[in-house]
Amino acid sequence: MKTFQEITHTLLEYWMNYGCIIQQPYDVEVGAGTMHPETFFRVLGSQPYKVAYVQPSRRPTDGRYGENPNRVYRHYQLQVILKPSPDDVQDIYLESLRKLGIPLEQHDLRFEEDNWEAPTLGAWGIGWQVLLDGMEITQFTYFQQTGGLDLMPISAELTYGLERIATFLADKESVFDLPWNRELTYGQVKKREEFEFSKYSFEVADTGLLFELFDLYEKESLRCLEEDCVLPAYDYCLKCSHTFNLLDSRGAISVTQRVGIIGRVRSLSLKIAKQYVQKREEKEEQISV
Amino acid sequence: MSKSEKKKKNKFLFELGLEEIPADMISPALEQMCQSVEKRLKEACIDHGSIRPFASPRRLAFLVEDLPDQQPEREEVVLGPSQSVAYDEQKKPTRAVEGFARKGGVAVADLEVVETPKGNYVGYRKIIPGKSLSEVLQEVLPQVLTSISWPKNMYWRESRFRFIRPLRWCLALLNNEVLPFEFEGLKAGNTTRGHRFLGEPEIQVLQVDDYLDQLRQNYVLADIEERRAKIAAEIEEVTPKGLHISSDPHLLETVVHLNEYPTLICGSFSEEFLKLPQEVLTTVMRHHQKYFSVVNEEEEIQAYFLTVMNTSGDPEGKIRKGHEKVLRARLEDSAFFWKADRKRGLEERVEDLDLILFQEKLGTYRAKTERLRTFCTGLSEDPHLDKAALLCKTDLGSDMVREFAGLQGVMGGLYAREEGYPEEVWKAIYEHYQPVSLEDASPSTRLGALLSIADKLDTVVGCFAIDIVPTGSSDPFALRRQAQGLVKVLLDHQMDYSLSHLVELAEKNFPAETKDKEVSEQVLNFLKGRVRYIFQEKGIPYDVLNAVLAVEIHGVYDAYQRAQSLSGIRKDKDFEALAMAYKRTKNILSKQSIELSAVSQENLIDPEERALFRAYSELKPKVDNNLEKGDYVAALKQIAGLRKTVDQFFDKVLVMTEEENLRQNRLRLLHDISQLFLKIADISEIVQENQG
Repeated sequence: MKTFQEITHTLLEYWMNYGCIIQQPYDVEVGAGTMHPETFFRVLGSQPYKVAYVQPSRRPTDGRYGENPNRVYRHYQLQVILKPSPDDVQDIYLESLRKLGIPLEQHDLRFEEDNWEAPTLGAWGIGWQVLLDGMEITQFTYFQQTGGLDLMPISAELTYGLERIATFLADKESVFDLPWNRELTYGQVKKREEFEFSKYSFEVADTGLLFELFDLYEKESLRCLEEDCVLPAYDYCLKCSHTFNLLDSRGAISVTQRVGIIGRVRSLSLKIAKQYVQKREEKEEQISV
Repeated sequence: MSKSEKKKKNKFLFELGLEEIPADMISPALEQMCQSVEKRLKEACIDHGSIRPFASPRRLAFLVEDLPDQQPEREEVVLGPSQSVAYDEQKKPTRAVEGFARKGGVAVADLEVVETPKGNYVGYRKIIPGKSLSEVLQEVLPQVLTSISWPKNMYWRESRFRFIRPLRWCLALLNNEVLPFEFEGLKAGNTTRGHRFLGEPEIQVLQVDDYLDQLRQNYVLADIEERRAKIAAEIEEVTPKGLHISSDPHLLETVVHLNEYPTLICGSFSEEFLKLPQEVLTTVMRHHQKYFSVVNEEEEIQAYFLTVMNTSGDPEGKIRKGHEKVLRARLEDSAFFWKADRKRGLEERVEDLDLILFQEKLGTYRAKTERLRTFCTGLSEDPHLDKAALLCKTDLGSDMVREFAGLQGVMGGLYAREEGYPEEVWKAIYEHYQPVSLEDASPSTRLGALLSIADKLDTVVGCFAIDIVPTGSSDPFALRRQAQGLVKVLLDHQMDYSLSHLVELAEKNFPAETKDKEVSEQVLNFLKGRVRYIFQEKGIPYDVLNAVLAVEIHGVYDAYQRAQSLSGIRKDKDFEALAMAYKRTKNILSKQSIELSAVSQENLIDPEERALFRAYSELKPKVDNNLEKGDYVAALKQIAGLRKTVDQFFDKVLVMTEEENLRQNRLRLLHDISQLFLKIADISEIVQENQG
């Protein structure tokens, strides 16, 4: 039986052999692997790119104090971007599952319609959730727009839910019982983190401070843009997004505010994407974020 | 036309291979594709036999049989100079006509005179050969493929062409030969693909007739009916004895199109979950997992489920275990919601509605709740109704409804029941979204019906007030469906609220700044349109509908009764004649100004007008009495009894006499009589049989 870390390792190795750059997780809080600059910026423009990385993803509202067997505050996504999407992208993906030791001919695998959308990033795509014996193990998306910009070429995005795949392979009831390695379980490594962050986001977070921080992050992001520091501007945009999620899990956001705040983050994303593309065209840089 | 009708013996098989198409879009696309083939072959003058559609998640295909070798030849007349220019006085061909003949490659002697509306011209007939079948198909196919419209398209390669999902292969066989054809980077060939894991990745189809069999051997059932039949048979097979699945036609249709090789298995879950409400269990199974739930003879849910796998079997039970594990996790989540949601009472949740937006300009659900309460109080003093109105939206803040939006209302009702609210209250909450379609049942209780009316009308009036009005195919708030639901409830509950009263009541709830002056009129017309639609669906003839809707609709149920009574009597001879007479009356009255006052008996001079007045005076109280009772059939029969008297009146009495006071008096009499009908219908709208 594969441990949690062996699963991660196997997949990264597979994609490395396919020719992907192996990147590291981004060091700013994000809600999904899509928000990593290696996806957000790389899918823009025309340069081909292939990248894979693990991204710890924080979802404050999903926190359950480590008590729910399937929901966690911070889960791990393994994200792959293939730009442009190869014609046999589905087969390449399925091969990665075989590498994990899943005999697909003995299972029930389906691609079911699920079109991904991230309003705060001005991003959406068309695709499926991949169901293995009824369990959603991957989100498969053909990116159509990011930062409100039409994309061409089209990138394929594969987002593996590592906990889900591990649960499937390990035949465990609870994510906390998964073997992280041969000695420790996922629960032993993560439970305290789950408890404290759940407690923080539901009970402790200072909403007044968070609202202030949101304003400050937004201001700094805009200032960065004025100074042509697009990537730092994006970091502060991500911070806005995470701050919004925290406020949301505290139930601190009224309806009218919610629409407004989502609009503000989105507006940052759109500006950032636009300026990123413009700058790139001006300088005709070869490859650098 | 063509001289030699070619033997029809050709077959054409086309298969477009693509990545998984969303299940619900397959049928409509396949239908469009086949219709488009039919239409374009017809335009190309290609006769054909049946067009058989095939489809699976990864392919759209069709087979056309009995195709001719080519289009029929066409004969075309090529016109030259006019006859007068073509020949000189000696009837010799001029240079003009010689030039024309040379250019067309025909002898002058072969030219003929052709009569046209503009005069006689010289010309010749030319046979245009038909294009070969292959040429026609190559022209038709791209048109067919681009004509399919999808709800949501995508790009996947550097081309401006969009489709539902990426195209991956294309098979085109004309009598076992590959049709030379290219589309969006795909070159047609004779290979198809089997099931992703059980079949061959590439299958050569050498004979058109072998297509279905070869696919079947590779675990793809491309014939939709074959999949449907397999699923139906296996449902019988795997359902535990004495039990059956809970009927779900939409889910059945989805699983037919979700799998290339559907195979059923039956799984089970722990009986401890049976303490969850049946509604929740069914929704969890169908919503996320697309499982059928299993019930006993009494329709009580059992701890089993049926799932349709996209593979041939599960000999070791691995797949079943996987599905059971996923379902268990989902049920645990729901059990958690069911427990957590009930920690706070519904009344406590009312304030949460401040955080949930109904519509940007129309405010939150809290605001909507207050509007519903005011509206309901206007209809009934029943405190249970007010309580139900207060609580009916509170489940929108519950975890369960956030997870399963389709359970809105239902959960509120169930939570209210758990909290011990009286049946009137929890049922009203439970049912207030019903009916969600014309096929769905109206609320079973009176309070549920009233709350349903309140909720729907609030949405319709509110949206109209901020100018969100359904136009053509655009109806984002599903206002047509809401209004139809409202009309259906009024009808099913035989309620006699007048529509204008209801609309007025709902409109009062919206603050002046959002209100547009025209709204109530506009909403009323909109509702009338829906009434018309529903009555039509119930089989009321259109002229009866026109007649009934021409007078004010007080209650919808009342209008329906009037329509039914009128439908019953319209063929009656006396009634038909009376309707004719009424048309005359209406005509006269519409052109004259009348000063309304009572008919003066002294001014009735002619015996026929006196007779009519007498008959009317005797009849009126009887008719009024029947109208009062709602016995429209009796009232209409009584009025039809006036026919002879009315006919004699028109025969003998000159209404438009010069004498002002006599004329006015006669007009008043006619007016009074017409008022008898107008409480039921404007019968001048009735179309007589002999008028068509």
